[in-house]
Amino acid sequence: MFFLKEETKIISLHPSYFGPNMRDYLVARLNEEEEGRCTGDHFVICVMDMVDIGEGRVIPSSGNAEYTIKYRAIIWKPFRGETVDAVVTSVKPTGIFTLAGPLSVFIARKNIPGDIKWEPNTVPPQYTDHADQVIEKGTSLRLKILGVKPDVAAINAIGTIKEDYLGPL
Amino acid sequence: MSNFLNQDFGSDDEDDEFNPGPVDESEGEDSKPAKSSRRGADSSDNVKNEGDPDEDDAKDVVDDEEQDEEDEEDEDEDAEDDDEAVEARPRKRRRGPLNPFIDEEAGVDEEEDEAEDDEDELAEFGTEMHPDDLDQLPAGAETDDRRHRQLDRQRELDATMDAEKQAQLLKERYGRNRAAATDALVIPKRLLLPSVEDPSIWGARCKPGKEREVVYSIQKRIEERPAGSRNPIRIISAFERGHLMQGWFYCEARRQADVIEGLEGINFYYPSQKMTLVPVKEMPDLLKVQKSEELMPGGWVRIKRGRYQGDLAQIEEVETNGLNVTVRLVPRLDYGMNDDAAAMMGPDAKRKRGAMNTIRPPQRLFNESEAKKKHAKYLSATSGLGGKSWSYLNDTYIDGFLIKDMRVQHLITKNVNPRLEEVTMFARGGEDGTANLDLASLAETLKNSTAEDSYQPGDPVEVYRGEQQGLIGRTVSTRGDIVSLQVTEGDLAGQTIDAPVRTLRKRFREGDHVKVIGGSRYQNELGMVVQVKDDTVTLLSDMSMQEITVFSKDLRLSAEMGADGQLGIYDVHDLVQLDAATVACVIKVDRESLRVVDQNGSLRNVLPTQIANKIEPRRDAVATDRNGAEIRNGDTVREVYGEQRTGVIRHIHRSYLFLHNKAQAENAGISVVRTTNVVTVSARGGRPTGPDLTKLNPALNMQAPGGGRGAAMPPPSRGRDPLLGKTVAVRKGRYKGLVGIVRDADDKNAQVELYTVNKPVQIDRNILTPKDPITKQNLDSGRGRGRGGGGAGGSRVPYGSGAPSGAPGWSGGRTPMTAADSSRTPAWGGAAASRTPAWGGMSGSRTPAWKNDGSRTSNPYEAGNRTAYGGIGNRTPAWNSGSRTPYDSGSGYDAFASGTRTPAWGGASANTGNRTPAWGGLSNGRDQRDFDDAPTPGGGYSAPTPGAYAAPTPGASAPTPGAWPDSAPTPGAFNAPTPGGMPKRGGYDAPTPAAYDAPTPAMGGAAATPGAGYGDDDGGPRYDEGTPSP
Repeated sequence: MFFLKEETKIISLHPSYFGPNMRDYLVARLNEEEEGRCTGDHFVICVMDMVDIGEGRVIPSSGNAEYTIKYRAIIWKPFRGETVDAVVTSVKPTGIFTLAGPLSVFIARKNIPGDIKWEPNTVPPQYTDHADQVIEKGTSLRLKILGVKPDVAAINAIGTIKEDYLGPL
Repeated sequence: MSNFLNQDFGSDDEDDEFNPGPVDESEGEDSKPAKSSRRGADSSDNVKNEGDPDEDDAKDVVDDEEQDEEDEEDEDEDAEDDDEAVEARPRKRRRGPLNPFIDEEAGVDEEEDEAEDDEDELAEFGTEMHPDDLDQLPAGAETDDRRHRQLDRQRELDATMDAEKQAQLLKERYGRNRAAATDALVIPKRLLLPSVEDPSIWGARCKPGKEREVVYSIQKRIEERPAGSRNPIRIISAFERGHLMQGWFYCEARRQADVIEGLEGINFYYPSQKMTLVPVKEMPDLLKVQKSEELMPGGWVRIKRGRYQGDLAQIEEVETNGLNVTVRLVPRLDYGMNDDAAAMMGPDAKRKRGAMNTIRPPQRLFNESEAKKKHAKYLSATSGLGGKSWSYLNDTYIDGFLIKDMRVQHLITKNVNPRLEEVTMFARGGEDGTANLDLASLAETLKNSTAEDSYQPGDPVEVYRGEQQGLIGRTVSTRGDIVSLQVTEGDLAGQTIDAPVRTLRKRFREGDHVKVIGGSRYQNELGMVVQVKDDTVTLLSDMSMQEITVFSKDLRLSAEMGADGQLGIYDVHDLVQLDAATVACVIKVDRESLRVVDQNGSLRNVLPTQIANKIEPRRDAVATDRNGAEIRNGDTVREVYGEQRTGVIRHIHRSYLFLHNKAQAENAGISVVRTTNVVTVSARGGRPTGPDLTKLNPALNMQAPGGGRGAAMPPPSRGRDPLLGKTVAVRKGRYKGLVGIVRDADDKNAQVELYTVNKPVQIDRNILTPKDPITKQNLDSGRGRGRGGGGAGGSRVPYGSGAPSGAPGWSGGRTPMTAADSSRTPAWGGAAASRTPAWGGMSGSRTPAWKNDGSRTSNPYEAGNRTAYGGIGNRTPAWNSGSRTPYDSGSGYDAFASGTRTPAWGGASANTGNRTPAWGGLSNGRDQRDFDDAPTPGGGYSAPTPGAYAAPTPGASAPTPGAWPDSAPTPGAFNAPTPGGMPKRGGYDAPTPAAYDAPTPAMGGAAATPGAGYGDDDGGPRYDEGTPSP
């Protein structure tokens, strides 16, 4: 689910950047560091705007200046039970690896409908029910997130297509 | 009926009568008076029995106990008889003389009718015996045949009585008290517990293992000397607790003296050891009977010893005696494959058999074709019911399983804890093992062995049977078998209820992150639940991406992230050294062994002991890929040839890369490739090199398009060249050694009027050394500066000054930047690009530090073309030290000098007068060594010698307004006073001002290497790497 979230970040600036364009630099730096970041809890999709840059504070002994920046960002936090569209990145006998945006979702064999079988002999290998449903690398899938496992700087999720209206699009 | 009863009593009487005590013996042969007196006693006993139900009750309890024991005793009767035979030898002897042809029954019957007959008979028999024999008879011996007859008679009676009557009789006989008890069904149990009024129980010692015998002999003695006899045994009951209390037996009596008296002379009893009184409270415990484990067909046991030690077995059949069990096992057979080896060992074979047996064949179902290969002669087929069975080496195999009769003693029946994979071996014919397996029944078996600690507070649980079926909650606490849980869903939400463990199961939802905690070989595996079906949970291992099915009781919610278990210090994905030439990456950690993939890509199982050591990951390990691009840990690379695997570099070892790819199930995602066979797909964002100052610094960026720093950097030349009018010596070239006066100077050359040759010559100003016109001493920069013309001297930063001196020793100390610029330091380099601002820009190139008069130089900040950065750079601590000291001391600013001298300075000036060590090094070659040593690992910065360091202490650089009126506001000036920078320099100098002398324009211009410019956060090594790159 997407949220607009207000967050705070502290950026430390080297003295060599002190000057008229400092603000631009801070903005650039914030965008560069934050956008696309995964906190282990959510993904930062886009930094919307700065709420407050605040006053810099020179850190004794290093000369760097610290800016506490408040900004608003669009984040995406995947939830259990959320239905997302994803692209198949690889197909293995154990299951299907997909990417839903930045989130990698694994669909275990148990969570693939029984009629969609592993077909290793085709090129590329695929899961198919020998009818209209073919899942191979690049296929778009609609899946439901079963569980989300936060990691240090990544999120891993497992999903299922063993429900109505789920499966290849 | 009553007749029988009478008879009974009568027989009792007989008993009494014919069990004369020793007292009787002493009284003589005449038994009649004794008998009559005993009769009296007997009747009184009867009365007493009736009048003393208390005692009877108590006795009854014990009677029950004893009866139980007697039941068992029956089994051992044969053995007992043998024992008795020994004791009762006289009886046998007596039996001999009896006339076998006389119908004893008849005699007994007579005796039964008439007491006189009794006497007669006795006399009759007595006369039949030889008098000598009679004499030799021990006391009571003559009663023996009577007792036999009595027993026979009774048996006959029993036989003739119909069962109903017998039952009634028995009931009448024993049921009296029982009847009372049955009436009082409602009596709470606690009222039946013994109190202080009840007889006490004493525990006494006996020979271990002979407890029962002792009890028997007490019983016998009580029979012989019942209450009411002349010398009654006043022990009310005796019992033992078998193996539970070995070496102890217990007697119930009113007084201890009664026990001591009653136990006198009992075999195996140890009278010397004190007997203990059992406290009333503990009495019930003493008699508590633990229900023996009941073995049921289909249950699981383990084998205690032998070839199948520890193996799981399923009970096929339990014999009625409960001692022998038929079990089903997965055989461990080698089908004679190791026989050859045994034969080859020759005569020693026997001795070594023990060792041979240690090799246990793996568990595999019986395979007749394999057995036929070598052991056809031992193999015979028998067709049984249902399946075909084989007899092989005297064992029976049905459906591949070994069917074996075993004694219960050889089985472990408690805490069997069958594991799922063990149990699946017993699933007949199931392709995947679980198909035919009745998981429900297995779960049932397991449930009994559920350890208490498998439920921990906070576990989500579900009551799946019993009244509260369907409740869902979280455990709050566990007490023994009872788990308190707080209901979380439904009407009862919020309430705390208790439920027995066996009605609970853990509850997981799909997507839960769980850890396998025990009971299976997947212990410590982490994974996410993909399917929950009753008691079994399928989870997807984080590591192997494989589906694992385990019981929910073996799972626990896990908050951990990342890899699963560790074995000692080894973790999954660790790099370990197997031997000198082999390294391997751990891909799986089992309970005792590790699975690794080595550098050649081959898999092997190793024990932790086989690992030489663990290779700590090197953060800065670097390699080059096929295209020569730098690759590091964390980069994503792709294989060029072969399988075109991609992965993130986990380890770099020599030319091997261990890649990790999450989407790869095998080898825990680890694969091995050679560095020459990969190309970089993406480098990990941002190498750990600190701020990329060359790229980000706007000032530097501005210069870049200007096409070389030389043009942009030099500050506008203003004012008088410091070299003008100075006396200088030429250090190089054809005029080397000559002295002259500078008449004119531009940024490159100086027109020098030599003392010797009366004409001005153009000489590269870089090879000029200012001299004192009188002493011809080398001038230090300070003095030169003081005069405004001494810039040349003053500008010699240690590394700058080193280059002109050209001493071979110095070259070693050259900074990498100077190396780039032929032999010259940037400061001295003739090329404009390589010059420091101080030099390159002629007057304008003066570093701020040099602008002692300030007015001539633009403030770097104001000027704009000079960055603060550059300013800082110019004034390296070394510069400061080099330039200032002489100035201070030489120019006679005593106050200032003293004020500015740091301890290091003090030392320096003591040695070399006013000279800083840096200068000393320049002026006399001896000190060049110091310079050679000087280059710290910090990247060949020769400057940071201790002396040089000390210079820019706040004291030194805190230019007092008087001494340095103008320099104070220069960036250099305020740069220097940051004391924090100096101590830091050695380790991490990037953020310190000192560090920024690296990217001084001078250096930047010379080397212009990113490495030189900023590469100093890692300290020396990092720097070294950076420099050669250009």
